[in-house]
Amino acid sequence: MGGGAQRAGVAERVGSPSHFSERSLQASECDGVTLDPALVADATVEVADLSVWYGPKVALTELTCSFGPGVSGLLGPNGAGKTTLMRAIAGLLPPNSGTVRVEGADPREVLEVHRHLSLVPEDEAVPDSLTARQFVAYVARLHGVGKDAVDDALDTVDLRSVAERRVGGFSKGMRQRVKVAGALVVDPRILILDEPLNGADPVQRASLITLFRRLGEEGRTVIVSSHVLHEVERLADRVIVVVQGRLAAAGSHHAIRDTMADRPQRFLVRTTKPRELAAALVELDAVAAVAVDGASITVSSSTARDLAVALPATARRLGARLLEVRPLDDSLESLFRELVQR
Amino acid sequence: MTAIVEYTLRACLPLRRLIGLGLLMVAALLFGLVGRAVEDSPAGAFATVANSGLFGLVLPLAGLVVGDAVLGAEVRKGTFHFTWLSPVARWRITVGRWIAGTGVIAVTIAPAFLVAGLIAGTRQGGWAAAAGGALGGSAYVAVLMAVGATFRRAAAVSLALVFLGERLLGTVLSGVAQWSPQWEGAAVFTAWSDGVSSRDGIPTGAGAVIRLVLITALGLALTTWRLRKLKLAGPGD
Repeated sequence: MGGGAQRAGVAERVGSPSHFSERSLQASECDGVTLDPALVADATVEVADLSVWYGPKVALTELTCSFGPGVSGLLGPNGAGKTTLMRAIAGLLPPNSGTVRVEGADPREVLEVHRHLSLVPEDEAVPDSLTARQFVAYVARLHGVGKDAVDDALDTVDLRSVAERRVGGFSKGMRQRVKVAGALVVDPRILILDEPLNGADPVQRASLITLFRRLGEEGRTVIVSSHVLHEVERLADRVIVVVQGRLAAAGSHHAIRDTMADRPQRFLVRTTKPRELAAALVELDAVAAVAVDGASITVSSSTARDLAVALPATARRLGARLLEVRPLDDSLESLFRELVQR
Repeated sequence: MTAIVEYTLRACLPLRRLIGLGLLMVAALLFGLVGRAVEDSPAGAFATVANSGLFGLVLPLAGLVVGDAVLGAEVRKGTFHFTWLSPVARWRITVGRWIAGTGVIAVTIAPAFLVAGLIAGTRQGGWAAAAGGALGGSAYVAVLMAVGATFRRAAAVSLALVFLGERLLGTVLSGVAQWSPQWEGAAVFTAWSDGVSSRDGIPTGAGAVIRLVLITALGLALTTWRLRKLKLAGPGD
């Protein structure tokens, strides 16, 4: 796959159903060749034309992407196929068609892949009857890892003090951290985290986010899915958006937004002459709709760049002062909502 | 392998299943008492209740409780991921779990069968029942592990296999009975008891032991093969 998957061109649009056609974005370059934004040059995890279905239900359709060192976020609504993709990467699910390669090997065929790959599943995957230490020690023994690593892993997720307690008595956040400890104890080069922040309190979330970022900075491939989108923004340098089993977008969330030029974006404009400015703006081709609320105007535009040029000129012409101009929906959450709706 | 055996014993047999096993042990002892009430020689009376009660009911139920616990229940609950996502060879996982399951049968059901024989007044019959129970139980664990690794509704399939396939069809068809842990377990028991006749048409004694070893080996091989092909979709999928 690797080099053969390099495709010339920037911001490729995928020939998939129209409502998911934006495979945009921040193309990366390798030896002068521009890569598909869904692919990375130094891939450790490569997914090619992956399709997975459960009976009549299609979970993933011809999905191609790759992941390399650093933190990558996996986004999508419930049922989008994120978990299926993660499980397929880990080898838990066989592809119905297409391939998955982890460090060049098939994770379902080559057991050695699992020596340095860890998955933190979303579901309750830890037996209640074990203590936290017993569980982490079990995973360590399966991977041939020494006992010292068990304490280190428990320390990392701040569970050392309750390590002798049964997991069944833990809160959801603590159980999540037990799973993370079980994943970290093998010193993974590739770490797959399915909604790892579920149930964690704000302090734990911040701590886990810091941990995952550090793991990414250490050169590990960290793939994180989450429905808490602002946390993914804090976590991931790169985002893969999956909607209805298809790749909807890839790149940084800013890059995704920039290339989605044909869908309306909303801006808040505060000005000294809101009614006059609104009346002038509504005449512009770049403006789709205008709403006035006191001193603020909400402007919808599908050509944000044109608006950026026209707005100051119009304000100057009217003698109106622009007090504030800012996008209203420049978050990953709004982007995600829009990708789902398209 | 040791890690897998220890984990299986700690994690896969929750209190509910242990209580179930305890009740089956009590049932075995009650069958021993019933043997005392049958008007026959102690060996003959015990053979009557053991064939239908111990090998026809207690052993299959114990096999269901333990065989499903060591693999199928974990796969369904989603706790098997951590074992599967390891570089451990699949056959080691299979054998480790089978050893744990067989160990549980060996320290619960087999002694209960022995004590049932003693209660019924036949030491030889008790030992024979314990041997048949241990060997039959071990084969059950292997077979029901294979079911657990193959079917999502493993508990229902296991029940159908044991009571419709083995008990119902095995009663009338020797060809089915000779591949059945309960019938071959009973065949070990009857062959090694004094003055008790064995069922015709199926291997008995050493032949039954060999047949049970074969059933066990086939169950383990099938389990290993299924583990390689396993789809761990998770409860939500």
